[in-house]
Amino acid sequence: MAMMTAEQYEESLRRLNLVVYMFGKRIDNVVDDPIIRPSMNAVAKTYELAHRPEHEDIMTATSHITGKRINRFTHIHQSIEDLVKKSKMGRLLGRETGCCFQRCVGMDALNALSIVTFDIDAQHGTEYYKRFMKYLAYVQENDFTVDGAMTDPKGDRSLPPHKQADPDQFMHVVEEKKDGIVVRGAKAHQTGAVNSHEIIIMPTLAMRQEDKDYAISFALPSDAEGITYIMGRQSCDTRKLEGGTMDQGNLLFGGHEALVVFDDVFVPWDRVFMFKEYEFSRQLVEQFAAYHRQSYACKVGVGDVIIGAAQTAAEYNGVERASHIKDKIVEMNHLNETLYCGCIACASEGHKEPSGTYCVNILLANVHKHNVTRFPYEISRLAQDIAGGLMVTLPSEKDLQSPETAKWLKKYFEAHHEIPTEHRMHILRLIENLTLGTAATNYLTESMHGAGSPQAQRIMISRRINMHEKQRAAKKLCGIEE
Amino acid sequence: MSETVRVGLKYCGGCNPEYDRVALVRHIEESLQDRVEFVTPESEGVGLILAVEGCSTACADLSAFQGMEIRVITNIEAGDRFIQEIRAQEE
Repeated sequence: MAMMTAEQYEESLRRLNLVVYMFGKRIDNVVDDPIIRPSMNAVAKTYELAHRPEHEDIMTATSHITGKRINRFTHIHQSIEDLVKKSKMGRLLGRETGCCFQRCVGMDALNALSIVTFDIDAQHGTEYYKRFMKYLAYVQENDFTVDGAMTDPKGDRSLPPHKQADPDQFMHVVEEKKDGIVVRGAKAHQTGAVNSHEIIIMPTLAMRQEDKDYAISFALPSDAEGITYIMGRQSCDTRKLEGGTMDQGNLLFGGHEALVVFDDVFVPWDRVFMFKEYEFSRQLVEQFAAYHRQSYACKVGVGDVIIGAAQTAAEYNGVERASHIKDKIVEMNHLNETLYCGCIACASEGHKEPSGTYCVNILLANVHKHNVTRFPYEISRLAQDIAGGLMVTLPSEKDLQSPETAKWLKKYFEAHHEIPTEHRMHILRLIENLTLGTAATNYLTESMHGAGSPQAQRIMISRRINMHEKQRAAKKLCGIEE
Repeated sequence: MSETVRVGLKYCGGCNPEYDRVALVRHIEESLQDRVEFVTPESEGVGLILAVEGCSTACADLSAFQGMEIRVITNIEAGDRFIQEIRAQEE
């Protein structure tokens, strides 16, 4: 199998035996659960579009291992063009789904490991790269969705891993065996975890020698024994249980996050990609984070949706010609396209690593993601401004269907006489979904904290800026000689 | 009467297209149904590649078609010009 269809992907998930809890109960049928299923639909879109002629140029790539056509989400970037197409793929899927499609994090983990395992081997004479390439071939051949898991719970943030009162606050080795290792810990905020076939673990921060038991990276099947998933809640999530075709806002797609617990889980050696080489943990964190910060190209696509929704709401309200509305729409587009500039720039300014993998420009990837921590909030504010207060005071779809109340809703919530009231309600629900509801998890708070909180990007920006050259340029122009 | 041309259809990825590429191809196909048969670009007997690009960046990977005759469309007007070009070959 080279590339799965959306249908094959769904069937493959049904064969997994995941241990998933939500609302205090074990979920037996994850795929069909009404709260989880929209997120599965979003991942399935990454499979569907790869088979469509009008999208395959972005959605697929040629494997540098086998020469076969593969889904770009399992590809190792072989050129600047690959990096640019990755950014474009993010925008495309963000717009197609209006949410997080969850599959980028695994792609970013694979690419980061393709660099770091090579570099560890060069220094230590280990065989991580060979192991990794075998694993990569397995992922590509099966067209898996992979969860790239980095964020540990971290306990007391002022203490390094080895000084935590509870050592499990960071993923660590608890036993070494002849045939593998046993690990314990957890990964938090795992996007798309229960829609994944595999999970790749990476250290969450730069480690020192005292933390070497925590400097580990490995891959496991998502249903490996000892792994438990506890689903996160999202604002308005139980609207998905109500049925209907309006109040969810986005009727088809959504995202999810989970706490993933590893309770003494066995990892065979051939799936271990870093084992106590603590001095490479910083590189793995920084390069994974840079790739993943580029991946926030997806928010440009979601931004396209929210701008389209705001313009539609303005037209339905009959205010689209008002100068302040036009100006707000321009501002939303300015912010959104500025985000696009960042994700294209960090790709265009990428470089080739010793392993042959192309990596994004780390400074520009961090600048891009830092903009993402801000601009979607302003775009959302403007969308709410244009939409009007009805967005949050609108009665439910059931009131629209009730014979006692429907006539009043249709009468008093009609705006433009040619627009059915239902259409106006639909578009307002979509804006609500994106800025306050389930999708705000991804469009807003994930934009803030996903792939690292704003301060993480500021630290990277300060590290990567060449201040000396800036000072030299300034001093030269004003005649300072040193 | 002119014979049918097998045209290999190659789209860009469609990240941010400025028009509906699929609808335009449908329009071209209907307009030239007696003159053109659209096939995948890898098909046998392709006489021409039609690259349907969503914007002027025109980023579709055409490297596999070196040496072949290629027409690039980046907007609806270019689609109409393609129809006229094929029609003109009849005369």
